[in-house]
Amino acid sequence: MVTVTIDGKKIEVSEGTTVLRAAQSAGINIPTLCDHPHLTPYGGCRLCLVEVEGARTLQPSCTLPVSNNMVVKTDTQKVLDARKFVLTLIFSERNHFCPYCQVSGGDCELQNSAYHEGMTHWPLQPNWQPYPMDASHPYIILENNRCILCRRCVRACGELVGNYTLGFEERGANSLLVADTGVVLGESSCISCGTCVQVCPTGALIDRWSAYRGHDEQAIDTQTICVGCSIGCGINVFTRDNNLLRIDGNWDAPVNEGVICEIGRFKPMNEKCDRLVTPMIRKNGSLKATTWEEALKVTSSELKSHKGKKGDVIAAMISTRQSIETISHFKGLFSEGLGSELVTTTEEGAFTESAAKVAGSLGKAFEGKLIDMLDADSFMVLGTDLVKDHQVAGFFIKRVIGNGPRLLVLDAEENPLSLLANKALKNKKNTFEDAINALSAAVVKLGLTKEKTSIKATDLDGFATKTGLKSEDYLDAAYVIATQKPMIVYEKGVSAAALKDFAQLIGAKLISVKGKANSLAASQFGLEKPVKLGAHKALVVLGDDEISQKMIKDFEKVPFKVVIASSSSALTAMADVVLPAANWLEQEGHYLSLDGRLQKANRCLTPATEVRSTDAILLALAETTGIKLNNDWTTELHHRVAATEIVN
Amino acid sequence: MTPEQIFDTLEKAGLRGRGGAGFPTGTKWRFVKKAPGSKKYVICNADESEPGTFKDRLILEGDPHAIVEALAIAAYAVGADEGYIYIRGEYTIAQQRLHRAIEQAREMGFLGEKIFNTDFKFDLHIHSGAGAYICGEETALIESIEGKRGEPRARPPYPTTNGLWDHPTLVNNVETLANVGPILRNGPQWYRSFGTPSSPGTKVYTILGNTNVTGLIEVPMGITLREVIAIYGKGMKNDKSFKLAQTGGSSGSIIPASLQDTPMDFDSFSKAGVALGSGALLICDEDTCVVDLARVLLNFFRKESCGKCTPCRVGNQRAFEILTNISEGTGVLSDLTDLMNLSDNLYQLSNCGLGQTAGAPIRDILNYFRAEVEAHIRLKVCPTGVCPMSGKRI
Repeated sequence: MVTVTIDGKKIEVSEGTTVLRAAQSAGINIPTLCDHPHLTPYGGCRLCLVEVEGARTLQPSCTLPVSNNMVVKTDTQKVLDARKFVLTLIFSERNHFCPYCQVSGGDCELQNSAYHEGMTHWPLQPNWQPYPMDASHPYIILENNRCILCRRCVRACGELVGNYTLGFEERGANSLLVADTGVVLGESSCISCGTCVQVCPTGALIDRWSAYRGHDEQAIDTQTICVGCSIGCGINVFTRDNNLLRIDGNWDAPVNEGVICEIGRFKPMNEKCDRLVTPMIRKNGSLKATTWEEALKVTSSELKSHKGKKGDVIAAMISTRQSIETISHFKGLFSEGLGSELVTTTEEGAFTESAAKVAGSLGKAFEGKLIDMLDADSFMVLGTDLVKDHQVAGFFIKRVIGNGPRLLVLDAEENPLSLLANKALKNKKNTFEDAINALSAAVVKLGLTKEKTSIKATDLDGFATKTGLKSEDYLDAAYVIATQKPMIVYEKGVSAAALKDFAQLIGAKLISVKGKANSLAASQFGLEKPVKLGAHKALVVLGDDEISQKMIKDFEKVPFKVVIASSSSALTAMADVVLPAANWLEQEGHYLSLDGRLQKANRCLTPATEVRSTDAILLALAETTGIKLNNDWTTELHHRVAATEIVN
Repeated sequence: MTPEQIFDTLEKAGLRGRGGAGFPTGTKWRFVKKAPGSKKYVICNADESEPGTFKDRLILEGDPHAIVEALAIAAYAVGADEGYIYIRGEYTIAQQRLHRAIEQAREMGFLGEKIFNTDFKFDLHIHSGAGAYICGEETALIESIEGKRGEPRARPPYPTTNGLWDHPTLVNNVETLANVGPILRNGPQWYRSFGTPSSPGTKVYTILGNTNVTGLIEVPMGITLREVIAIYGKGMKNDKSFKLAQTGGSSGSIIPASLQDTPMDFDSFSKAGVALGSGALLICDEDTCVVDLARVLLNFFRKESCGKCTPCRVGNQRAFEILTNISEGTGVLSDLTDLMNLSDNLYQLSNCGLGQTAGAPIRDILNYFRAEVEAHIRLKVCPTGVCPMSGKRI
């Protein structure tokens, strides 16, 4: 610990703390622009300059580490003058015409700083030179006239996302924010995660959807989680007059610490779906609007008639994007209440079954946590495309592999992460088990094992041949992955049992990406059966998941079909009863992330009058069917040993 | 010699960095030695890009072995096993000769493993610059070697503890390193027989401008400008009178004729409020316009600023525009307040030496030649007839 005196206040902070953070911890406000708590300090804007006793010039507090007995002053005339001067220079650099800017009036950090310093004008003439504007991107607009060159976006793109799309060309007064080597944003390597927009202090990077639709203080900010995939990123949902304005990553969320992907940030705005607003039942061959009472009556009387019958009677499928409450009630209603033998999810357990079996036979959790990725020194990515799905997990890998950690990609398909890998292997389809065995043999051969194994070094050639690769490939790969703290990320299609042994062999942490937001919870409820439709009499589908054409054909044969969904689809078109449900933003409930973190999603929007939450629909159905549902879902969630430890 | 003896010798000799700042070399070496860490680097800064300065080029072309030798000695002293010579991209001949010198040193066993059958190992890489002036700043140079955009880092931490790839790193200028061998060979007393007590040794200057003879000279520290012009420059061209000298390329000072009898060493110059700079002496005669000179210098800075920090990136651009206005006869008196303000703030607020010294020409011309500058504004006349005095105000 060191002691530093800031504005006469004695503050004790740990060594290495910057003056800015020390001041903030003592409640002393120092204005900043290029600083961002989640980015490495840069010291570019110079707004945070302070007077340090003994220093020749003013010092930037954001980069200056405290030293013992340092005396700092943040409110002298010299400092205040310097701040005004820095702001003067920034305002005079480009064309900051506030009245035309969407962030003006509260959301602009530059304008706010100027107000704070009591600026009424800036005395220096700007150069009146127009700077380029780039509107080529589907979601983002880059307006260089408003850029203050603070590099927050550049640092966020590199440090947080690991994409390194944004950068600066030229130098000095000609410095310009560009994508890649100067191509337009829409044609660049940008992956549209929007993190740059979220960190931009001015209106230089804005998103098209929320622009000019009101300031943040006029919007309602609801903290919730994204249900796009099983990572469970924390998000802030901004709404105004029950309209979705914008989604930001939640900086305080332990899972993602502010970073989200395109699917989480922009897809919800861009959803072109036809919302269901009223219950419908099929009369004389076509769907007709009806009341909830009638719809529920028709459904429950049909379902009741099949109650308790053995064999292929009722098939019930739920989306793994539904909350645990809904999943629990779904199971309670159809499995326990109506005695259906086919209650499952639309994913059919593809992502979780193999891992759940291993956990069951071990009697304990064997998978690690997402947070382990941050201090892993090598990664092995197996059969999963982290650039397309579960992107944030991909960010965690991409952001660190430049600083030393190594990457091995093993996939039977083309894997975009291969481009960044130290070694990329493309095995023959359905040979993951052999590939893992070959890797084990390679590790044994190189003497890099940390545990005993029955696999011998001499097995290498045999296994390698089966996967269509050379033994040398596996030896190279073994060098990449057999490090101090390896981490293995895998997905469905890879046998968890084989992988678990290999992970033990090299002392690696394991983690599997698990499909949609509640796949792991559904697995805990045992909803993992494959869908095999026989002579089923009734079918209930809950959720908006895309269903394959083949499955839809199977569904058509079922005489009575109920679909509970938020928007119309091929499924609702052939249903006999359609019950309009709230979407993920319109209802609340709990979710279990891929690494077992139990989180609550909050309601951000109010659904239309005739639209009910999925849970309310199930409760109403249960009531009309005369079935009592159990509200305690926590016990059943822990009933079975999970692949990863469940934490609240 | 033990490392300790080397530091002592250098400190006793009083060798000071020839890159411009004049930091005591022995002390710097000691810092790197003391810095914790098993991996250390030594770097020779040969990215000589100050306008009018070419002393390092001539040293490297003339005696590349001296630099290789000094780097090996430095590495031995501070405990480094790897070194870089960061050399300006345009210096192709110097690069070729350095490559040969390094190869020869390897053949002779002066570089590589087990040097002189000891456990000391050391090898050198040559890293060619790509044309950015700012990469002569030591932390920008380090960033550039790391493959990043050449932008100076925030300091502290200093390169002596957190340099190349975050390891302790010694960065020395070519001329500084060229002094190391002779000092160790002949002893500090010999070295102190040249120069002044506080700035011992010799200094290499490049004389250019309006003197009869231009070129490279090595003179003892403490010589005066009058002596340089008279003895080495063989007087002013066409018998014009001496008006000012610009030292150290762009980040030096403008020395008016009134200071031509000040001894040229680190301390006498800093006492007089000017800087010795990097070793260029641009000698200007009475036909030189100070506004034009400052404008040319600011034009250089606005283009060569890395663009990282606001004061340097924007301040130089605004100062250049104001000077352009003055030189085109469209200046107003309040421009001078703005200029002085810019100059002061550039020094106070900038991140690195470039921004901090970029305002010096403005400060100097307003200090020593204010009447001439005001003539541009009040009378709309350029006394030397250099400025166009016809333009539109930006």
